[in-house]
Amino acid sequence: MRSFWKRHSQPYLFLAPAVAVMLFIVLYPFLYNVYIAFSNMSLYHLRDLEFVGLKHFRTILSEPAIWAVFGKTILWTVVNVVSHLVLGVGLAVLLNQQIKGRAIFRALLILPWAMPQYITALTWRGMFNYEYGSINLGLKAIGLSPIPWLASEIGAFAAPVIANIWLGFPFMMIIALGGLQSIPKELYEAADLDGAGWWFRLRKITLPLLKPVLLPAAILGTIWTFNNLNVIWLITNQGEPADKTHILVTYVYKAAFHYYRYGYAAAFSLVIFVILLSFVLAFLRAGKERTR
Amino acid sequence: MLKIANFSIGYCLALLLVIFMSCGGGGGGEEGGVTKVVLWEMMDPEEREILDELLAEWNAAHATIQVSRTNFGREQIRAQFLTAGLGGGGADLLFGAADDVGPFSIAGVIHPLDEILGAEYLSRFSEIGFDRFDGHVWMLPTQVGNHLCLLYNTDLIAEPPESLEELVAMAVEQTIDENGDGTPERYGLVFESREPFWLVPFLVGFGGWVMDDEFNPTLDTPAMAKALAFVASLRSEYGILPRECDYQLSDTMFKEKKAAFTINGHWSWGGYDDSDVPFQVTSIPLNQETGLWPGPMISSRGYYINSSVEGERLIKVIEVLDYLNSEEVQIRFADRLGVIPGLKSAFDHPSIKSNERLRASWEQYQKGRRMPVVPEMRAIWDAMRPGFQNVLNGESTPQEAARAMQIDAVKKIAEMKG
Amino acid sequence: MSREGNRLRIVKSVVIHVALVLFTMAVIYPILQVISISLRPGDRLYSTSLALIPDGATLHAYYAIFFEKPFLLWLRNSLLVSITVTIIGVALASTSGYAFARFRFPGHGAGMLGFLVSQMFPATMLLLPLFILLSKIGMIDAIPGLVIAYVATALPFCVWTMKGYYESIPVELEEAAMVDGTTRAGAFWKITLPLSAPALMITALFSFMTAWSEFMVARVIIQSQNLYTLPLGLESLAGTFQTEWANYSAGAVVVCIPVVALFLILNRYLVSGLTLGGVKG
Repeated sequence: MRSFWKRHSQPYLFLAPAVAVMLFIVLYPFLYNVYIAFSNMSLYHLRDLEFVGLKHFRTILSEPAIWAVFGKTILWTVVNVVSHLVLGVGLAVLLNQQIKGRAIFRALLILPWAMPQYITALTWRGMFNYEYGSINLGLKAIGLSPIPWLASEIGAFAAPVIANIWLGFPFMMIIALGGLQSIPKELYEAADLDGAGWWFRLRKITLPLLKPVLLPAAILGTIWTFNNLNVIWLITNQGEPADKTHILVTYVYKAAFHYYRYGYAAAFSLVIFVILLSFVLAFLRAGKERTR
Repeated sequence: MLKIANFSIGYCLALLLVIFMSCGGGGGGEEGGVTKVVLWEMMDPEEREILDELLAEWNAAHATIQVSRTNFGREQIRAQFLTAGLGGGGADLLFGAADDVGPFSIAGVIHPLDEILGAEYLSRFSEIGFDRFDGHVWMLPTQVGNHLCLLYNTDLIAEPPESLEELVAMAVEQTIDENGDGTPERYGLVFESREPFWLVPFLVGFGGWVMDDEFNPTLDTPAMAKALAFVASLRSEYGILPRECDYQLSDTMFKEKKAAFTINGHWSWGGYDDSDVPFQVTSIPLNQETGLWPGPMISSRGYYINSSVEGERLIKVIEVLDYLNSEEVQIRFADRLGVIPGLKSAFDHPSIKSNERLRASWEQYQKGRRMPVVPEMRAIWDAMRPGFQNVLNGESTPQEAARAMQIDAVKKIAEMKG
Repeated sequence: MSREGNRLRIVKSVVIHVALVLFTMAVIYPILQVISISLRPGDRLYSTSLALIPDGATLHAYYAIFFEKPFLLWLRNSLLVSITVTIIGVALASTSGYAFARFRFPGHGAGMLGFLVSQMFPATMLLLPLFILLSKIGMIDAIPGLVIAYVATALPFCVWTMKGYYESIPVELEEAAMVDGTTRAGAFWKITLPLSAPALMITALFSFMTAWSEFMVARVIIQSQNLYTLPLGLESLAGTFQTEWANYSAGAVVVCIPVVALFLILNRYLVSGLTLGGVKG
């Protein structure tokens, strides 16, 4: 034991404060949720809880709507994260070059991230309005016919996707800008001497060397997007039209909290948690195998 | 090596210590003989301005009972008060809507007021304002109403319509597309046409209602289908209601004087006055087809007392409650915001009787129907919303939508009782 | 360099600039909308016209938030919370990221995963138990409770980012210093940390923003008006139906300014030149 401590004391001491904070804030709420998930907690049973076993989980899995919602969640997550990465990295590479007014571009492009989401989300909702939204007014001005964004199932799903891409790319851009600083200029100079094109430089130098910084952002971006409640909630006004635009978190939030179904909500959250966990584990394993 | 780690730990602890000491916790309690009463409210910004004046006056006059308020959104106040109830805390007083009577009393987080205050105390309020649930009164009806009325821009409309048919005809006349691009510059009638709260007046006007006496939904009825068809025809047949007209669009258009009629509650009047819109309040006119008046949902708003408040503290909290429901205070709210006072003496006061808008609002009120306070109402709202929107978007027929609403409402209620 | 090549380069540069300008304009259009709302009289969220400067434009909302609303109090609270979270977040993430990047120890993989896992549970579900936990230890309605919750929210990303960045710094640099007699901690402090400036910047900005714009957790923890942070304060301008849109938007515009300022201050660490290349060569 003593020798173990002697050998490993350094990293543990480095880690201790952060781990303490995380355990303090995350562990109890998590365990509490697990406990609730197997109970009948609801408005009618707020304090007199009873153990109900897997009842909630059976309800969730037998819900026919759930698979469509699950599919939309995947679509929502993939489209958003890929767009954030492509736009963010692309802009970072551009803005890392000799561009006139580079600082101004950078400052302007982070604004979507800097402004409080509540107001920008509602502004986007206004821009998607059929008759008076600026997007349809713009479409009409160039001779196209307006789109019923918020009234159709596809439009009402596309609207928050567009808004969320807008909200999220600046952050990825900042990260990529930071990551680019760790790439030695000499590598590009050497590639130039070899007459390599931009595509080669991007694929063989920029992206591999950005990976260590982009990887956590991509994984966490995936998790956050998967669990992003606000944007869909505000822009589609709680899943309109007719609850067809839900992703898993908005679905559970509405299904559970509108009706005080605390036990059900906790069980549903556990299901979401397990789905995410298995995704991320698979992703990390795939990444490891490739580097091997 | 150890140095850095120790340093970082020590450093963080020191920092935490500093912030811990720099700010004490707030909240209710007793401190040095001063009772701190906490009020949570879900008032609109203008109401809060008046409340702040009132509390400042109270706090200046009462050194030993200090009242503070915290604002919450409609959804948050319910969730937060229930959560706080679980943790054994929360506000002493809560100002909310009558919808919360069901959830709060079932969860046991509020006092039954008939037991706390007594029948005589309650008799000072208009009987019409009370919602009894489980045989008890749970909320003091400070304001009655909270309902929709028909508003018209007096620059455009001289005399209000006598019937729904006339309303439609006048609105058709007022819908004007000057440049012929298919988007009218002015619409005849704008109102939030995505929320079922705005469908209810028409539902009542066609002889329907949302639930029966046993709280079972009654949505799959001919009256519902007719009401849905009527609202949809405003858009599809007459073109007097904009597409996707939500609250914000309707509000904006009436403020920009680009709409002749709107349907909205007293909470919107101040904003229209600020935008210099000349308007008058009236009832949604008679439905000649059925001979029935369209009836908006009516409900009260008022104060709840937290069930964890007891003994000496309860007496002090009731003192504050008395003040917030005094005649003088009620008249101040009614005069400035157009809310109908729940206290009989305030309601009968001359300055209230002579207020034109209040009188019109009161007339509409008498045609309304009480919003049920049972938790089932939430499931019914959520079941009505998609059907209402589908009919307006032309995605289902009124009959289909009415049937779907009923099925969904039954399912949601069963889930809630789980 | 041939004339042809030069011309091609100029054309390319013009195309890039034009594309960037167009893209940036599209990006800031919604921001301009918010500014437009803040200038509208009579609290209108929507407008039926495309004009960005509305009829009867007024700066009254900006006057109102500073002189009629306790905006400065909210600003002070938010700055206190955000700066504290940033300092603690950067301190904790830079050390734990280092442990993960440079050491192999039992629990390494589990620890890294643990930080990720903490983000996977839908945040809204944690609010109820978080409230119960904090009220048991008397940290409800107090800034420290909020700070700890935010640090825990920001840490996972910060730790992973720091770890990733440290790994891109050659370990030989530290080893060389340690051969010269510096301790491990000294090497970390004097060599690795300064080279990680871009990652520290990202970590700092992220921690700051986590605390700066968060609403849901703050709503649960903070109840007294004198402890309101900016998002809570802005939210209090809203009602069930009626909302002070002009004041709200004006507040949102003002809230942006410290973030952009912080970004511009930290921006120099994102400018090429401070790269590892120099050290490595």
